[in-house]
Amino acid sequence: MGESILATSGVTKRFDGLVAVDDITYQVSEGETAGIIGPNGAGKSTFFNLLTGYFRPSEGQVHFKGRDITKRPSYERVMMGIARTFQLVSVFDSMSVMENMMLARVRQGQDYKSKTRFFFKNAHYRGLEKECADALDTLGIADKADALTGDMGYGEKRELEIAIALSLNPKILLLDEPFAGLSLVDIAHISEVIKKIKGQFTIVIIEHKISKLMDLVESLCVINEGALVCNGNPQEVICDAKVKECYWGKEDMVCY
Amino acid sequence: MFSKIEKSPILTLALVTVLFLLYGYATSLPKITDFIIFCIFVIGFDLLYGHMGQLSFGHMLYLGAGAYGCGMFAYHVYPDPFLSILVGVLLGAALAALLGTVVVKTSAAAFALLNLALNEVGAYLALSPLHEWTGGEDGLSLFFESYGWVDFNDSTFRFYFCLGALLLVILVVTAFVRSPYGILLKSIKENETRVKFLGYNTFVYKYVTFIISGAIVGFAGALTSVNLAYCNTSLIAPTRNVEVIFAALMGGAGTVLGAVVGGTAFMTISNYLASYIVRWEMFLGVALLAFAFWFRKGIWGYARKL
Repeated sequence: MGESILATSGVTKRFDGLVAVDDITYQVSEGETAGIIGPNGAGKSTFFNLLTGYFRPSEGQVHFKGRDITKRPSYERVMMGIARTFQLVSVFDSMSVMENMMLARVRQGQDYKSKTRFFFKNAHYRGLEKECADALDTLGIADKADALTGDMGYGEKRELEIAIALSLNPKILLLDEPFAGLSLVDIAHISEVIKKIKGQFTIVIIEHKISKLMDLVESLCVINEGALVCNGNPQEVICDAKVKECYWGKEDMVCY
Repeated sequence: MFSKIEKSPILTLALVTVLFLLYGYATSLPKITDFIIFCIFVIGFDLLYGHMGQLSFGHMLYLGAGAYGCGMFAYHVYPDPFLSILVGVLLGAALAALLGTVVVKTSAAAFALLNLALNEVGAYLALSPLHEWTGGEDGLSLFFESYGWVDFNDSTFRFYFCLGALLLVILVVTAFVRSPYGILLKSIKENETRVKFLGYNTFVYKYVTFIISGAIVGFAGALTSVNLAYCNTSLIAPTRNVEVIFAALMGGAGTVLGAVVGGTAFMTISNYLASYIVRWEMFLGVALLAFAFWFRKGIWGYARKL
């Protein structure tokens, strides 16, 4: 495995006395696909929000490629290469699928750097439309380009959100429960997509159910009640006594 | 049909020109000049409200800044109409740039009320402490130099000049709406937090939009001064904020042509209905209720689908 790309040291997040994330020291190596699991309300999403700048930690630091980014706002982290999706799909329903894509693509290229182009050039020109259509095609939703995003199904919106995240030139992609609320067909599709992009850059996936991650990730970390319980090889992690305790209670369970 | 017109800038400008010419020559040019200037005001206001989703209760402040900027320059410095208008626009933009540093950090109700509060302060300053410059309650009577046929004392020239100004503003704002910046505005309106996760520093763009809005509204204010050949405190009166909000809602917030339709409709009602019904505002109130409950998209929101 490569060097650490994203790491936290002792991050803690408190909300009026509730400790949502409790002193987590964690790191992801460059190029790996890592999973984070934990029961509902364990603090997984809050931990993600600390990594991506949605919240600022009450204590501790976040490092990206060795640089302290604890105080960097979210939009700067995105430009460093930290892209994410949300647990509840978050795309712009009032805009067309193409416009959603354009907004993400434009920020990465010449249309943003040149302010005359950004403010005055018609966004619907062939070069950008082609680029966006290609990006949509990787998720198999190119035929929806002209549809209003609000009219799409939930699965398609999640595909769009992943397509958007992929087009931000990510060095690390953080997926917050990419399978939540989806049909089995959509789960299979998104799982395929993740397998396809795996290895191109670092990926961190939050998931609620262990089973969906076992064949995707190289390392697995378990969070419970805001604290890191266990981190390492997935097979070893699910056999860990503490992990079994937080998932299934104190009784002994058979490893599978 | 209308949606096709809206997509082509040339057709849009042609339609607006023809309709205002017809309206102007069928009624009276000076009156329609007022309508046109008001439409510019609505477009500037709607850039913030309809396109970016921030409702300001205090945009009369920027109209006043434009009007007084233009008027004070012409009165105290030099009565060149073009320089005076330029000073009005710059004062509107500069005031927005100054106050925007604080105002833009707020949103929703706080944004609306903070703007209103600042408007109250501005109106008071113009009325009393600065009365030596602004003419206080009496206002300033203005005179502008004329150069050959460029004569701002001629109401026909003023009509064409203001129509040209409206076309220019429509052209620029239409370009904004179609550009990546326009898409960004729409996305900020829907979910600002999410936009930050696409790498955009949203504060900067909200601030820039606030300044552009201030400049366009200041432009409308400067034209008002030129058109009326005076400026007084009615051009900065906070109570008149409701007019522009009504107009934007009526026309259909979030489209450039909607702002023009709304501005014209509002001015038509307030000018013509007033000669038949003394308390015409009541009619306007009922109309607004109808728009709020049944016609959310405004006149243009429905007409463009025809």
